[in-house]
Amino acid sequence: MADFCWMGVGACATRLLADFGAEVIRIEDRNRLDMPRRLPIYKGDVRTYGEEDANPDPNKGGLFNNYNRNKLGVTINMRSPKGRALADRLIASSSVVTENFAPGVMERWGLTYDRLRDLSPQVIYARMSGFGHSGPHAEHRSYGPIVQAVCGLSYISGLPGEEPSGWGLSYMDNEAAFFNASALLTAIYHRNNTGEGAEIDVSAVEAGINLLGPILLDVTVNGRSTRDGRYPTGNRLEHPDAAPHGVYPCAGEDRWIAIAVFNDAEWSGLTAAMGDPDWARAPQFATQAARFAHQDELDAHMGAWTRDKDRHALMHALQAAGVAAGAVQTAEDTNDHDPQIAGRGLFFELDHPVIGEARFEGTPIQFSRTVQDTWRSAPLLGEDNAHVFKGLLGLSADEYDDLAAEGVI
Amino acid sequence: MAALKHPLAGLKVVEIAHDIGGEFAGLLLARMGAAVVKLEPPQGSPTRAVGPFARDRVGPDASLNFWYYNSNKKSVIADLAAAEGAAVLRGLLGDADILISTLQPAALRALGLDLAALTEAHPRLIVLSVTPFGLTGPWADYKSSDLVALAAGGPLNSCGYDDHSIPPIRPGGDQAHHTASSFAQIGVMLALLERQKTGRGQLLDVSMHEACAVNVELANPYWFYPRVNVQRQTCRHAQPSPTQPALFRCADDRYVYFTLIVAEPKAWTALVNWMASKDMALQLTEPAFTDVAYRQAHFQQVQELVECFFLVQDSHEAYRDGQAAGLPIGVLNAPEDLFDDEHLKAREFFVEVDHEGVGPVTYPGAIYRFSTFGEAVRTAAPNLGEHTAEVLGAGGQNQKEALP
Repeated sequence: MADFCWMGVGACATRLLADFGAEVIRIEDRNRLDMPRRLPIYKGDVRTYGEEDANPDPNKGGLFNNYNRNKLGVTINMRSPKGRALADRLIASSSVVTENFAPGVMERWGLTYDRLRDLSPQVIYARMSGFGHSGPHAEHRSYGPIVQAVCGLSYISGLPGEEPSGWGLSYMDNEAAFFNASALLTAIYHRNNTGEGAEIDVSAVEAGINLLGPILLDVTVNGRSTRDGRYPTGNRLEHPDAAPHGVYPCAGEDRWIAIAVFNDAEWSGLTAAMGDPDWARAPQFATQAARFAHQDELDAHMGAWTRDKDRHALMHALQAAGVAAGAVQTAEDTNDHDPQIAGRGLFFELDHPVIGEARFEGTPIQFSRTVQDTWRSAPLLGEDNAHVFKGLLGLSADEYDDLAAEGVI
Repeated sequence: MAALKHPLAGLKVVEIAHDIGGEFAGLLLARMGAAVVKLEPPQGSPTRAVGPFARDRVGPDASLNFWYYNSNKKSVIADLAAAEGAAVLRGLLGDADILISTLQPAALRALGLDLAALTEAHPRLIVLSVTPFGLTGPWADYKSSDLVALAAGGPLNSCGYDDHSIPPIRPGGDQAHHTASSFAQIGVMLALLERQKTGRGQLLDVSMHEACAVNVELANPYWFYPRVNVQRQTCRHAQPSPTQPALFRCADDRYVYFTLIVAEPKAWTALVNWMASKDMALQLTEPAFTDVAYRQAHFQQVQELVECFFLVQDSHEAYRDGQAAGLPIGVLNAPEDLFDDEHLKAREFFVEVDHEGVGPVTYPGAIYRFSTFGEAVRTAAPNLGEHTAEVLGAGGQNQKEALP
């Protein structure tokens, strides 16, 4: 795979293929460092991602390491004709080409689907962007929070009558990456069956609209207005009539537990775990519908009960009583204190020549046959130039040295 | 698109899905052309009981929740707890390519189903299990829900408001289930590629909990490297320490998301020019503001002027003009706004699906577009047991007629 992807979305998508045996060759530009190489996510140095180093060490960035394990790394100056000729040779020996630049960048380098097919007849050309490669907004500036805003996912998240709380992460960078990986795998499957390649156009906004769920049909079928001041509903559900259904305070600073009760049996389990308090026998809590209708009062009782309890002990006690409950866990919790995750080996460590040992997010799928091939952490900038250009593409030592001296690689 | 080939055409999928994580996984395969037979208990999938309902016709065939996740499938009634239902499943597995199951270990045991044994009995079969916590481990039979999964897996910790007396707030739209479905789809495609090479199927065990735990974006690397937990903020990235607001209210009482970056000269000039074009740049045109350090020292003043700037224009106008100025800005669309979006119209994104008795219903279109092949035309989700007779023949017809 000749992988022109950068930033989060593209790198996360091609990581999924690299994990499972694809030879992914990341093509980078020394003069325009990939943002994850620059963001200051370093060991022993706490900064927000806006507090960048003026002269970052490109091999020190944790985010780049996170997104680019199991890939080869080369550098090509695509502004030079010799660089573009070298990229052509790389593409000619590849069966998949990926990119997530703003629309027009690959075209400027002459890398249209037609040109790619001349170089590699059965090529799959995956193009990942915020808005897709056609339409009046194709060239809109885009990153995760903008995609989430435009597709509706931010608006449908928050307390009624308040500003939206939206997302505290680039959820759509990840989800678009997952869909892009699926699209690539689907195209490979199709090519294996038919011999036919494809150009793929994925718009993260369109992927995001597919994740809105049935609220969209409530609008199109029932003429529902989501701007009526009662929507969205915070941690409560509109459907089904779950109650209690919320996030309640626990002992400690900013510690919480999520509890979701969907029927009478679960309510009985909950009240038994609470020691059958008098308030729970009141008529307004006698049925699921009644509890759903009196959630303000119910939630006040719930919060008073959970407030002094350890979130994990409470989670296990409620689960033992047959109630869906989960501590609100931090990354520290899921990484270091979660026996369910630890037992299945989700996270793992790899050594890196500059960063040292680092932890990685694995794949949340246990396969009985397919093996995840985890063989290296992320490449240093240009680390695999010699291997790829001389070893795979057959450049002579002289050609290679000239390209290096001219700043092409 | 209708004329293009469907990449998964010819594949037979049997779906035993009691939640939308499994159903969305089945839908993603069905939309690529796989023939998905959904086995349902006589009272229907639990997802049919969840609203909203079409035109308030409450009932198993009118759940919009069910419609959304079950297009392009066939519905067959089979009570797996009864001998006849188990026989139906056995019969269908004879030539199935993929079995989807959302049953947790205790539920599988209760039905006498052993997923690993199925892959032994049917060497080409791919068994896709999508469950709250996976099939193994101390929490394997714990109950979950979208909210509980987002909480325990980690995404919820990053979402909510600046005010931490307010609990973390669940992002809308069952995203824990969707995350599990995304990995389910990736797993199935990897397994299909494996089967092309080796002829062998396998068991895929997808955990919604783990899918959420790797879908927290920066929260993980912030723990892997500086070993710090991120703190939630209103509608912007959770960070190790607070950053400035990014949500701006507009004149129409709607919002735009805009990251104000004062350090980057190009973005700064674009912003000031845009504000000046509406006579709203005020002091920002003064020479002192050409200096990055000065801008950073007077950030609060800049932020307030930008707040005022957005307050006097409509959100869609701000989105259009800001993007035209090359700035990263997005309008917070409500679902109903999407149908008027000129870009989505030009790409002919939305599709119409005919629902008997309701008429054409607008659905989201393709997630991905391929030049040489494409999605199946989207069709309405099946009524409960609509295809029992068709799929099972006369025996199915008898079973259907025996329904209350």
